Amino acid sequence: MSNPTAEPKKVQTSDKRTAHESSDTCTPEPLGIYVHFPWCLNKCPYCDFLSVAAERPEIPHAAYATAVIRELDRRARGLTDRPVRSIFFGGGTPSLWEPDELGRVLEAIEARFESDGAEVTVECNPSSFDRARATSLRAAGVNRVSIGVQGLDEERLRFLGRLHDGPRALASVRTAIDVGLPRVNADLIFGVAAQPPEQAIDEAERVAALGLTHLSVYALTIEPGTSFGALAKKGRLPLLDESHVAESFVGLDERLTSLGFEHYEISNYARRGEVAVHNVSYWRGRDYLGLGCGAWGTVTRERRFRYRNTPSPERYLALTDEWATAPDIDSEEIVAHGEHIDDETALSERIMLGLRLAEGIDFEEITRDLDVVAWTRARLDAAEALAERGRLLCDGNRLRLPKHAWLFADGTISELM
Amino acid sequence: MPTDSSRIRNFSIIAHVDHGKSTLADRILELTGALTARERVAQFLDKMEIERERGITIKAQSVRLRYQAKDGQEYQLQLIDTPGHVDFSYEVSRSLSACEGALLVVDATQGVQAQTVANAYLALEHDLEIVPVLNKIDLPSADVNTAAEQIEEVVGLDCSGAIMASGKTGEGVDEILEAVVKHVPPPVGDPDAKLRALIFDSWYDNYRGAVAMVRVRDGTIRKGDKVKFMATGRTYEITEIGCFGPHPVSLKEMGPGEVGFFAANIKSVEDAKTGDTVTLMSAPAPEALPGFREVKPMVFAGIFPSDSADYEALRDALSKLHLNDSSFQFEPDTSEALGFGFRCGFLGLLHMEIIQERLEREYGLDLVTTAPSVVYRAHTKEGEVIDVDNPSKMPPVGDLEHIDEPIMKVTIHVPTEFVGATVALCEERRGTQVGIQYATKAHVVIVYEMPLAEVILDFHDKLKSASRGYASMDYELVGYRTDNLVKLDMLLNGEPMDALSVIVHRDTSYHRGRALAAKLKELVPRQAYEVAIQAAIGSKIISRETVRALRKDVTAKCYGGDITRKRKLLEKQKEGKKRMKQVGKVEVPQDAFLAILKID
Repeated sequence: MSNPTAEPKKVQTSDKRTAHESSDTCTPEPLGIYVHFPWCLNKCPYCDFLSVAAERPEIPHAAYATAVIRELDRRARGLTDRPVRSIFFGGGTPSLWEPDELGRVLEAIEARFESDGAEVTVECNPSSFDRARATSLRAAGVNRVSIGVQGLDEERLRFLGRLHDGPRALASVRTAIDVGLPRVNADLIFGVAAQPPEQAIDEAERVAALGLTHLSVYALTIEPGTSFGALAKKGRLPLLDESHVAESFVGLDERLTSLGFEHYEISNYARRGEVAVHNVSYWRGRDYLGLGCGAWGTVTRERRFRYRNTPSPERYLALTDEWATAPDIDSEEIVAHGEHIDDETALSERIMLGLRLAEGIDFEEITRDLDVVAWTRARLDAAEALAERGRLLCDGNRLRLPKHAWLFADGTISELM
Repeated sequence: MPTDSSRIRNFSIIAHVDHGKSTLADRILELTGALTARERVAQFLDKMEIERERGITIKAQSVRLRYQAKDGQEYQLQLIDTPGHVDFSYEVSRSLSACEGALLVVDATQGVQAQTVANAYLALEHDLEIVPVLNKIDLPSADVNTAAEQIEEVVGLDCSGAIMASGKTGEGVDEILEAVVKHVPPPVGDPDAKLRALIFDSWYDNYRGAVAMVRVRDGTIRKGDKVKFMATGRTYEITEIGCFGPHPVSLKEMGPGEVGFFAANIKSVEDAKTGDTVTLMSAPAPEALPGFREVKPMVFAGIFPSDSADYEALRDALSKLHLNDSSFQFEPDTSEALGFGFRCGFLGLLHMEIIQERLEREYGLDLVTTAPSVVYRAHTKEGEVIDVDNPSKMPPVGDLEHIDEPIMKVTIHVPTEFVGATVALCEERRGTQVGIQYATKAHVVIVYEMPLAEVILDFHDKLKSASRGYASMDYELVGYRTDNLVKLDMLLNGEPMDALSVIVHRDTSYHRGRALAAKLKELVPRQAYEVAIQAAIGSKIISRETVRALRKDVTAKCYGGDITRKRKLLEKQKEGKKRMKQVGKVEVPQDAFLAILKID
């Protein structure tokens, strides 16, 4: 393992370098790798990620790892000259996965791609994360964990359907740090039911005080297709008043930045140099290879293609199994959704994603990457009007949202798309 | 030689909407061999897609048919299909005056409805021989005895000779044709008298200009004749004469009793007005045929393009529609909120809906149509009388002496059990009862005088729901009347929404103002700042609602698996925003301009 504390800086600079490299056809654009682990002990009522509730012994740990490696073999074709700067195990709850099996997948990726110094993150839930697990993950090559703390208050954790309590959550973070995992993130949710803004802010401070490198702080979002979504539709979900959510957002920013965190994305805070490389690559519009049941990927070969693998674990396992005996079978059968992203759409996405970052976007860079005219008449007009309203800062080709206007990012972004 | 008029029968089919008139007409065409089965598209006579879809005839169509009757003679039958809606009653009356007889078609499952009666009376006024036809007898719910009884009681027609028919199966259609030959009198006209031909329809043809459909009363009309239109005073030379069988066939001439079309390089349908009389320039008739009048729009609304870039396209589309429909009027209009558009005048609500639908469907336009208004007569203190078809143009309260509004006589046919609900609705709409007649034990005719403004504001929908769909209505203008009317304005942060101003009765103005403000609160999205919605009469605020400022509009999570979905959401948000209109600084969705149609 390389020195993990020095690594993010290196990755950042290398990522900046790629902006120039991408116009230079000799050096290929880096690639992120996302591996989805679809199982959870239970399904949280607010979560709209793909997850299937299962007890740990029911999960086909080894078979799933084998399946993901088979998919990797197929998908990696023609891409292996691209350097990998980040590998992210998300879910579901990948901390439920036997660390050896997860490690086998990681090894397989590292065997096929140049991935020296890559950020390797695993999402962990306090209910399936202890010292032994943390140690094994570290041994397997994981250098960053993201722990689903969500909150510390008993009542709210129950409301969110979490299986852990506050002390357990704090203990998980401490354990991760103790065993020497160099970079630790905690996920927090605010704006829950009757939560006063001060409580959300104090919780974040308590978690931050444990010494972690990164905090993701999300306003509770009611997504369609979740239990909360159904309840809200019927008007039976207690929701925090919008002005309190806004107040919490502002208060969190003030408190966490005063503690030395950099508020670098709408919901993300990092210690200096500790930004999530993998996630930043999404926001900068980079390619990511998606592996596993229900995984999304976006890969540019001749064209930019986005796909989502089948969300059914049974089907995913069965299809990848068939590949083992019949290598000629069409790989695309595991794709449940596929779309070509043309340059105009890619531009829209770069705007949508990039403006989430404090650094914003650079139209010059984007037009270098994509064959589009970014400064259309409509965009110029919109940008001017937004700047006048204090919603946008324009410095030549660089556009970003002033922090006080982050709460209105969607409206601003949609006008520029 | 013109056809011997003793062998001509001119007749039309009249019916309430949906009673199967057009299907029956198709059967007649089929039976006389005018249409081969292969050609037959359902409802051949309804040329427009919208007509076919709505099952309503808008433009009159006329077809000449050859019929070998049982008496061994061949007859020339002229079927004149009439528009099926009260909005077009003038056109119906002109079509009827081109006939000697009418088939009164009544759906045997529904019985007599308001327009059955209105149309039958219209036919009687024109001294037509009426042949009752009970249609849709193939349906299990058909009740011919009740329908016949209603015709006798409500319309006052002898039903002993009524024909049982089904447009669907074709049953009874030959009997209908025999009855036409037997009962409808042949046309009477003087071939030697000076030419008089009645224009009862006209349309625009790209190659021929406006084409007029006429019925010759006296004399003969020939290709090459120089003719004069007696109402407009314009003169033309006839370039083409013909009839529809149903495909166009050229003719050399038409004599008394004959029906057909002619073209004469007429520039627009406005020059070939329905009801005008055509005569020869060389030998003009001393007197025009009676009954001509200028048709005036009764209902007005603003039509604006959703996207201001479509203004030119809208103007072109309106001009094209106007070419074929001179009863529809338009002139440029501007609204603070909706930008450049047109103020359009229609014969009635259905007419308005049809024009709107054609603009959207045939011309692919995306429109905002403001709430319909009637033509008010504003009397100023200075003694001026101003016709106001747009409430936002009403002179200030201080300058007004009083306002008159158009009053309709509304005739409603309804089953007995819904009398209470119907009367309540009419009273609520400022109606004055003229009479209630129990025509049969189950069938009641209710007559009210009611402001047109109350009729055009979803009265028909409300009537239908109050009577579980059974009530039918018909209305006609009886005149203007003064009432205590005031202009109600809606303000957003102090800026008036001109397109939402309405003229209301003072007694209901507070209620209306409150309801409108509440509705707008639902429709105006939250903005970066607080928005005050006010209802005002003159300078007096009568109601206020507040739309609280938006505090946040941001997606918390956006990672690799969220991108496609979030992008689509934001694109949708952008589209919605593009369609927003500005009232002062406030962004208002187009829906809000229709708020008045959405309050109870």
